Amino acid sequence: MRRFFYAIALCFGTIMAAQAQELQAILQTHADEIAKPSRKTVNVALEDLVASGLPTVPGFLEAWVEKSVWQSSDGQFFIGAVEDDQINLRDVDSGAETTADKSDFKQLKPNGGVRRVIGTALVQFQLSDDNLTRRTTAVASIARRPAADQLAPLLASVEGEPDPVLKARKIQLANFLSTRFADNPEDRITAINSLAKDTSVEARSVLNQILQSSSGVAPTEPEGNIARILDPMQAPDAYYAQLVEAGFAPARTGPPVIRAALEANIVAGRVGNVPLAQLGTDAARERAYAALAKEGLAPPLVTTQTRDHALGEYVFYDLYDEPNAEITAAAEAALASVEQRVAFAQAADLALDGLSLASIYFLAAIGLAITFGVMGVINMAHGEFIMMGAYTGYVVQTFIPDYTVSILVALPLAFAITFGAGVTMERLVIRHLYHRPLETLLATFGISIALQQLAKNVFGTQARPLTSPDWLDGAWVISDVIAISYIRIAIFVLALLFLALILFVLKRTRLGLEVRAVTQNPGMAASMGINPDRINMLTFGLGSGIAGIAGVAIGLYAKVTSEMGADYIVQSFMTVVVGGVGNVWGTLAGASMIGFLQKGIEWLNPSNTLAAQTYMILFIILFIQFRPKGIVALKGRAAAD
Amino acid sequence: MTLKFSSYVTAAVLGSAAMAAAECADLVKVGVLHSLSGTMAISETTLKDTMLMLIEKQNAAGGVLGCQIEAVVVDPASDWPLFAEKARELLTVHDVDVIFGNWTSVSRKSVLPVIEELNGLLFYPVQYEGEESSKNVFYTGAAPNQQAIPAVDYFLEELGVEKFALLGTDYVYPRTTNNILEQYLQDKGIAADDIFVNYTPFGHSDWATIVGDVVALGEDGKQVGVISTINGDANIGFYKELAAADISADDIPVVAFSVGEEELSGLDTSNLVGHLAAWNYFQSADTPANTEFIDAWKAFAGEERVTNDPMEAHYIGFNMWVNAATEAGTTDVDAVRTAMYGQEFPNLTGGTAVMLPNHHLAKPVLIGEITADGQFDIISQTKEVPGDAWTDFLPDSAKLVSDWKELGCGMFNTETETCVQLTSNY
Amino acid sequence: MRKSFLSENPSVLWFIAALGLFTLMVTLLSEATGAGLISTSFVKTLGKTLCLCLIAIAMDVVWGYCGILSLGHFAFFGIGGYAIGMWLMYARTEGIVLESLSGQTIPPTPQEISDAIGNQIFGVVGSSEFPLIWAFADSLVLQLLMVVLVPGLLALVFGWLAFRSRVTGVYLSILTQAMTLALSLYLFQNDSGLRGNNGLSGLQNIPGFESTPQSTIAIVFFLISAAALGAGYVFFAWIVSGKMGSVIKGIRDNEARVRFLGYHVESYKLFVFTITAVISGIAGALYYPQAGIINPGEIAPIASIYLAVWVAIGGRGRLYGAVIGAAFVSLLSSWFTGGGAPDINLGFYTIQWTDWWLVLLGVSFVAVTLLFPKGIGGLFDYLVRKQP
Repeated sequence: MRRFFYAIALCFGTIMAAQAQELQAILQTHADEIAKPSRKTVNVALEDLVASGLPTVPGFLEAWVEKSVWQSSDGQFFIGAVEDDQINLRDVDSGAETTADKSDFKQLKPNGGVRRVIGTALVQFQLSDDNLTRRTTAVASIARRPAADQLAPLLASVEGEPDPVLKARKIQLANFLSTRFADNPEDRITAINSLAKDTSVEARSVLNQILQSSSGVAPTEPEGNIARILDPMQAPDAYYAQLVEAGFAPARTGPPVIRAALEANIVAGRVGNVPLAQLGTDAARERAYAALAKEGLAPPLVTTQTRDHALGEYVFYDLYDEPNAEITAAAEAALASVEQRVAFAQAADLALDGLSLASIYFLAAIGLAITFGVMGVINMAHGEFIMMGAYTGYVVQTFIPDYTVSILVALPLAFAITFGAGVTMERLVIRHLYHRPLETLLATFGISIALQQLAKNVFGTQARPLTSPDWLDGAWVISDVIAISYIRIAIFVLALLFLALILFVLKRTRLGLEVRAVTQNPGMAASMGINPDRINMLTFGLGSGIAGIAGVAIGLYAKVTSEMGADYIVQSFMTVVVGGVGNVWGTLAGASMIGFLQKGIEWLNPSNTLAAQTYMILFIILFIQFRPKGIVALKGRAAAD
Repeated sequence: MTLKFSSYVTAAVLGSAAMAAAECADLVKVGVLHSLSGTMAISETTLKDTMLMLIEKQNAAGGVLGCQIEAVVVDPASDWPLFAEKARELLTVHDVDVIFGNWTSVSRKSVLPVIEELNGLLFYPVQYEGEESSKNVFYTGAAPNQQAIPAVDYFLEELGVEKFALLGTDYVYPRTTNNILEQYLQDKGIAADDIFVNYTPFGHSDWATIVGDVVALGEDGKQVGVISTINGDANIGFYKELAAADISADDIPVVAFSVGEEELSGLDTSNLVGHLAAWNYFQSADTPANTEFIDAWKAFAGEERVTNDPMEAHYIGFNMWVNAATEAGTTDVDAVRTAMYGQEFPNLTGGTAVMLPNHHLAKPVLIGEITADGQFDIISQTKEVPGDAWTDFLPDSAKLVSDWKELGCGMFNTETETCVQLTSNY
Repeated sequence: MRKSFLSENPSVLWFIAALGLFTLMVTLLSEATGAGLISTSFVKTLGKTLCLCLIAIAMDVVWGYCGILSLGHFAFFGIGGYAIGMWLMYARTEGIVLESLSGQTIPPTPQEISDAIGNQIFGVVGSSEFPLIWAFADSLVLQLLMVVLVPGLLALVFGWLAFRSRVTGVYLSILTQAMTLALSLYLFQNDSGLRGNNGLSGLQNIPGFESTPQSTIAIVFFLISAAALGAGYVFFAWIVSGKMGSVIKGIRDNEARVRFLGYHVESYKLFVFTITAVISGIAGALYYPQAGIINPGEIAPIASIYLAVWVAIGGRGRLYGAVIGAAFVSLLSSWFTGGGAPDINLGFYTIQWTDWWLVLLGVSFVAVTLLFPKGIGGLFDYLVRKQP
């Protein structure tokens, strides 16, 4: 890379001479590298291109990155755009436009690595370009592949930068580069110290780069900026292997080595005077090997003692790549301070993830909190109502292409459809089973499998897309560590909204009063002039309708398949039961507990999410055993089964 | 759609009955053992349709050995024990000459003992974890060295990735592939600390934390790349989270081994442009054979349908079987198997697939970048890579070779020069 | 005692007679005897169905008689299958490994043998080190003991905790469901040491009987399953018929009243829960060698729900109802999904049963619960009562 920039510097002198050249001619000399570029070989071509100083070079490079360079069957390069079977070609030098048949041309497709290298080559042209996008691209290119020689041009471009955001970014980036590439150690230390509060991945990567070290082993402590001396007894076998590799010690004689040595020295059915038939144990084999070693037929056995002895003879160390100890010390200090901040930020991010998961569980379970929690009806088809909501969202999107409008239409429509489904189910099935809760469970399960299969028959088994509107794309980024996607925030808000809505309906409206009356004592409520049939129907519809809305939300952030309901049903029931039946606050508590707990366990074992789920369910089982009424247990007569 | 297929089957059967030539003693029966219901139906139904299309085409061209081919379709319903039961039924009750089927590794392991006991013949079309070799199975999908290793090489050589996140669904294919890759990467000088491994359950949807962890890997300034063996639906949540976190392929490239055209159809890919997948086939491959195949498929199954890698595997496998049976002059399993070795058939992506004595194909490896229209832009295509049953990158497997033609053994230990076993390790 | 029990329960004799006749017929018509009218794959299906009938009567006792709707009994079934599967796999692999090592010049050490077996079983996804769970895998007797002990102990501990806390009704159902979910998730993990999602496979190859044809093995397992079902039926019929049966039914009908009468309800429930778990484990141990493979998907919550469905359709509170339900629904299910049922052409739409069978099952399930709460068994009662 560096060589390439020297080349530029040299070529500035000869720029007049080079101008006579044509771009196509340079391209042809490197036709192979350009047609089939690789990250490692493309530099040669780029150096020549940049060195030519031709004004057409940046344009060509940009076109190349965007995969709009085409090669004709006779090897000529053009910038082209496809139109049906035709291709509109532009000559790389003259810019003359022609049209030709597509089949004669091959599109050049530089891979991501090559594109990055080209991006770096383009930096010098783009850094002070009039176009903001180009300047941003250039800065991003530097950030991706920082190099010493970029510091000066970057600093030079800061002054004239009109865009305040990009200017700040350039200053920041220049600071990062200074920590590593500034000439003066004091400047570097100042820059390093300024990073002590920066938790961004980039800042940490800069510090870590400075602190890069390589480990080694030597008979005595070596010269240089030593990071640390290592204790080989921490992992004796690994360190011994290092010793062997360095040529300081003989290789360890493990069972395979012993075995090979024995096999090579069989004499008349015996090895080292031990009969072959007896060699079925490790002890006998070691005995035979020792005999071989004694006779000089095999290298002596390396035992644990000889290993430990050898380890004690040598020094194992990490050596900083950076020779200046002051700089590494400053970087160590800065990194320590950053890492503490990062730890806090990570805790905050974990909490945010937990909150988000809790709100998803809550949203999935809140419908159940009404049908199961308040009415006591087990609805195994609840998950399928979630699925119906999600499919409603998908169907609406196929009719209304505008994502914002379609979501606004889908939400109430999903509510209406699942409300209707819930009411129908209540009228046809559940009404007849109010006093047989276990039978309700089975009947609704029957409905669940039927609905799931129906969805498969109608929509197919393939997952269907449900795309969120643009304003829900992306994430709310507080720092590189703490970030949460907007769609999750939206789900959180939706969950809060429903919590408020349900509390309002149950506590502040006539309907809520009647619901509570009917659930506590249907007979008495009926004699007060409340129609329990109607109330049950409406309550069940409400719970189902909310499941439908939850379905749209869940479909937006995850997937829409016929089986998505089944993923949430057991979880939802546990949320309600853990929280405490008959209480919306309980469901909130249950969802929070499960959400945070799951994230906590995941944090303990980040490489196995499945284990986290298993342990969480085990915990819930135990929790219910010891607190069968849930977190928020009802007291008094309402609590009776 | 199902309506149309059933009529195709009926037509195929009726047609064949009417046209059965005088010299044809019996119908040739091809068993199709793909789940049409349950969780795997999502992927396997497509393959059943592919088989029906290929058989229909072959029948139109005169069938095989002068006989019409009858497809015997059964539904193992994504229920693994049922795969064994249905395989036995196909071989003993329906007397099929060959079976095309299975998707998941566990279903293959379920079928293996039955196929070997009854000396059947199975063509398995999906990329898999290797470490297996059965006398009675031809693996037309990719072995790890035909998909994972070239993709990792691409990461190392072309993208300069220095730190790897291996994300997978917790089952045997990702586990094995990741184990091989871990060893391979360490052999290539990547430190063990620079390899992050995570396993998630099937259908996982909560990806925020894991994506966050991957971003955090960049903290020591090394180029991070993700190798994804995430299976099926879980990819949707993963890619949505990736898009939400605004991770561009330029910063952290993701290469997937289980994401094809079918999976992308459940997603809006505009935010995922540039991320990668490695396969032996992409629909976007620009060859006349592929265009013809895609046109035939769309005419058969519907305009909106896409083609994918396992479909090509069945295409090659079925045509090779037809040629081998023609060459052998019989559909007898042992004769066909012998005739299979060295069979050549043109790939849809160009070049020629060759059946090796270890029952794997030599196929080119393609790497594609996701485009905004849910397809892949092929940016790298290797020469034909011979499939390897036993990986060379793990010490216990490196010493094993499979060669059914010369050695007559699928698990031959080259150190002790003995055949470990003649059955496969199910 | 025994005489009076049987004479009071003529249905038990009828059942045993019917089962015996059925077994005899299948055996005579199977491929093993040369008749070959019933294919081996169908014998296996029938044998598996008998095992399902066995767990179904266990489910009927715990739910239909004792009123505990357990949605987790398939977990015990699966544990039984895993316990026997570990021995089958270990012993089979050991045979292969010993044979391949026998050709070597130097006899292998125990460690080398164990490493080679571990390598074969776990492949590259595990280490060659055997997980602790496999400690007894080399002994058939110990693994057979585990078939009984592990489900029994798990049920004992789980039941003791749950019944002690008075977790009842739907809560208990959800809790048992969570139990089987946790177990299946645990087994799904590759780190569980039981081969994760792949589970244990090749179980139909019985070590020591490598040269015996599968048609014979199938019929032997079929006969053992039939014997187990017969024995289980008599055992459960005996349990539910005596005084204890009355207490158990009392608990179902009104738990509080039985408690007030001075019975220790929890002990009775715990006994029923545990003993049915043990029988479920035995059923599983017989089922999986016939199925050939066991994996965590087998014990997903849905399996246990299906179990409840069989019992409900067959008719709760009568043992033969459970048998009818399990046999009827599972065989019908395989007939429909196997493409055996002819498609119905409505002119504008063809109903393909592979697509529509589950819809039919779901709807019929609702219909049974709503309209015939006594299930198919209830129909029998009705017919019997009509006759003088």
